[in-house]
Formats: sequence, C-alpha cells, structure tokens
Amino acid sequence: MSEKPTVEEYLQNIQNGQFKAYKCVECGMVIAPPSGSCYGCGSSKMEWTNVSGKGTLVSFTVIHVAPDEFAEEAPYYIAIVELEEGTRVSARLLGFDPLKPEEVPLGSVVILDYEINKTGKKYLAFKPA
Amino acid sequence: MPLNNTNIVSAAQTKFGALEGVSLREMFAEAVDKATVDAGIPKKDIQAAFIGTFIPEMLVHQGHTAPLLLDFAGLKGIPATRHEDACASGATALRAAVMAIESGMYDTVLVAGAEKMTSVSTNKATEALAAAADDQFESSIGLTFPGVFGIAAVAHMQKYGTTEEDMALVAVKAHKNASTNPLAQFQKEITLEKAMTPRYIAWPLKLFDCSPISDGAAALVLTSTEKAKQYTDLPVKITGTGQASASMNLCDRADLTSFHASVDASRQAYKMAGLEAKDMDFAVVHDCFTIAEIIASEDIGFFKPGEGAKAVREGTTSRDGDKPINPMGGLKAVGHPVGATGVKQAVVVYRELIGDAGPNQVSNHDTAIMHNFGGTGASCVVNILRRADA
Repeated sequence: MSEKPTVEEYLQNIQNGQFKAYKCVECGMVIAPPSGSCYGCGSSKMEWTNVSGKGTLVSFTVIHVAPDEFAEEAPYYIAIVELEEGTRVSARLLGFDPLKPEEVPLGSVVILDYEINKTGKKYLAFKPA
Repeated sequence: MPLNNTNIVSAAQTKFGALEGVSLREMFAEAVDKATVDAGIPKKDIQAAFIGTFIPEMLVHQGHTAPLLLDFAGLKGIPATRHEDACASGATALRAAVMAIESGMYDTVLVAGAEKMTSVSTNKATEALAAAADDQFESSIGLTFPGVFGIAAVAHMQKYGTTEEDMALVAVKAHKNASTNPLAQFQKEITLEKAMTPRYIAWPLKLFDCSPISDGAAALVLTSTEKAKQYTDLPVKITGTGQASASMNLCDRADLTSFHASVDASRQAYKMAGLEAKDMDFAVVHDCFTIAEIIASEDIGFFKPGEGAKAVREGTTSRDGDKPINPMGGLKAVGHPVGATGVKQAVVVYRELIGDAGPNQVSNHDTAIMHNFGGTGASCVVNILRRADA
C-alpha cells in the first residue's frame, strides 16, 4: 500500500474486508470517506489508520425503489454511522427487518461488518453490537 | 446594498408532466417563444443566454445543450452557456445572468432551463438522478435520492417529533394548490388518507412524499433598469442573491435536520437585499420531497428549527396563510424537470408578484424569496425578488 492514501485503495480495502480510514498527519483527525484536505486543519497530508469498528447509529432509511443495479436487493437499509473516532460514514445496516424500520433504535451501538451482493461486491455495513 | 439593476420583464413555462412526443429542444423553444415574442420582446434584443440542464447526457444522450437548444429556439450566435448544479441548475443559471447584468456587460439576457426525463424508464431516471450524489462513497452502496431525504426525515422526526402525517400534509397542500394550476403535472386534490398510502419509496417517504419524474421547460427575460420600461410597466427586481455549497456526502454533515447551504445562501440573499424573513410575503422553496419543504421553511428563517411541521399543520404555509409556501403547487405536484425547476420557481414568483397568478394568487405580493437546491443539498441558490413599484 502506497504511503499517500488513495480513493482507489480506500474502496479496495472495503472489497478486501479491511476497512481503513484516512488520518490527518498534521492534526490527527480521522476522516472517512476520504477527503483531499482535512476538515479540522486544512492539511492535505493524510495517512491510513485502523478504526475500532464501533459506532453509533445516527439515522437511516430503507430503500424500497432502487436503481437497476440494486433492485433485486431492495428493500435494504442505508444508515449514517458515527464511528468512535468521530467521523461519519454511510453504510448498509444489517440485522434488522427492513419491513419493521420503526423497531430500529437510533443512537444504539453498531459494529463494522460487510455485506456481499450476488456478484461478490462488498458493501461497507454495520450490525447491532 | 440591494441589487438595483436586474429586472425580470417576462416569464413563462411549458406545461410540466410526461410530454409525450415533445423533445427537449421543442419544449425549450416553446418556453423561449412564450417568454420573448409572445410577450412582445424581439429575440434580436437577447444578448446572451444562461441555460440550466442537469443530465441530458443520460436522459436523452445529448451533451453540449446550450448552443443546441438556442439554435432550435432561433437564438443562434449569441453567447450560450450551460449551468449544471444538479437540481439547482436553473437558479444557478439565473444567478449567473444576474451577475452579467449587474456587471454592465449585458442589458438583456435569456435565462432558461429544461429537462426531458420521461423518455427513459423510471429506474434509469432514478440512476441519472443518483449521479447528483457522491458516486464512489454513497450511490455505490445503493443510496438513492429519496433515500437521502428519508435519512433527513428520520433525523427530523427523531429530533423534533415531526411525523409521517406532517409530511403528508405538505403533499395535500401541494396538490390542492396545483389543482388550479393548468401547467401542473398533477391537477387533482388528494386526501390525507391517500397521501398516507403506505407505498414506500425510501422509508419513511412514501409515493406521495416524492416529486414526480417530469418533462418541461421555463424561461425568463432579464434586463437592466434602463431598458425594462421598454418591455413592461411592472418589472420584478432581483434585489438579493446568495449561493452556497456543502459536502456532497450526507455522512459528512454534522446536522441532518437542516441543510447548511440553504441557511448560508438565504442569509447572503437577505443581507444583500437588506431584508429579513419577516419581510417576505411568501416563499417558493425546493420541495423535491415533502420533508425538504419542511426543512427549507426552517432553513430560510420562516420558522424556527423544528417548527416547520407545526406551520404546515396550522395552515400557516397554505395559500391563504400568513406565510404561503409554494402557492402554485411546488415541485411536488407541478413536477420537477430538473434543469427547468429553478427557472420555473422564478416564473412562479414573478407571476405572483405582478398579480398574475389567477386562482393561485396570494393576497400579499410585494416581496418573496425563492430557494432552489441541488442534489443532497450540496448546492443552493436563493434569490429575493421584489415588485419594482413595491
């Protein structure tokens, strides 16, 4: 893996089941998905960092009508998760019935996982802790 | 200082809806003709054109639309530039035209927007719309546009207690207003029960929470104060304008219950116009989804954060309320041909301000705000418009 993180590697890490975030070399802010400049200090020097994989469920939706690529997977959850390290990611949410979204507890702790679709593509995902 | 040199002297739109057999360039030319020759403005007076289209590459397999559309509309030769900021393309084009006139470079320009969306399948159109979100980080996991606003709705419901019924009431209001607007895609009132039909698109958003896929075009003629009298006795001035951007990714927003670009752009526009939300007689906001209208009504300062739903419930935003919002039916019921929308919003504000809105006329109509935002809320343009004699 190259020293300067790239978007391509970020996406490949997810496909490899090895999610990593960006970390600002200057101020230490953890950033995912990638940004070319730090939201904290503006520096463009980034390095890779591992994350604990623990996060909090901030919000979510259930996609019922999806583009062709995802149509067979619907209905499925998409959630916004705030990682323990402070950054927020969009991901699939596993472990809940998509037809009972009112039972999903906002603010609950979730942990990193992956969802694999029919073609073998992996999605970043979270499941109840 | 409020802007003083930009005047809308003519405004028109085609019917919005599934315009079968009408191509992008034909609907564009229809709107241009209505706004120029039909309004007594010779096409030779137009010095430049500012065009909003969103994604004709995917919808009708056509890029480089500005010269193409102008040529067909009989305006070949003048500077023609396309502006693209997703659903804010129309108002972005309008803002560029405002700057061109205020700079003194041109006296009279055309602003027009158009989109042809119904020639592809709904899934293909959904895919095209999804291109306005971040493809690598959000669309690629299956997040859709209704999904983006579903996430915002869940956050708003959690923080403020907004309900699915509150959102449905926005749809009921939109359809009621559009029922007397012959240019609207849907001209039928709906009951609350119908609006609540549990046909989910992206929970908690249901079919009637979503604006439709539409075809349509809209056009405006803008001119300097010196020239305005040639064309009309009752110009409408654009006295303030604002524009802001925000992160494309929803996950990068600290607050999912408000769109910061809307807050920033509206504050800029109010400041430039020297006015505040309380000075606005009505608003035309970007109600691509019902929750988007509720949030926009808070972001532009009509109501405090969390009180947008209450305003709908109490009828404050109805056409006969204290702060009417989308009095002709909004994107929700009039339709949302993406590139046309921001221009059409200005058409609506113009007609209301000059007292030409027929059965959809609001009673106080000196000053209004229009709010057009793009994609996940990553772009927003807000303008303050005021009747020149007000």
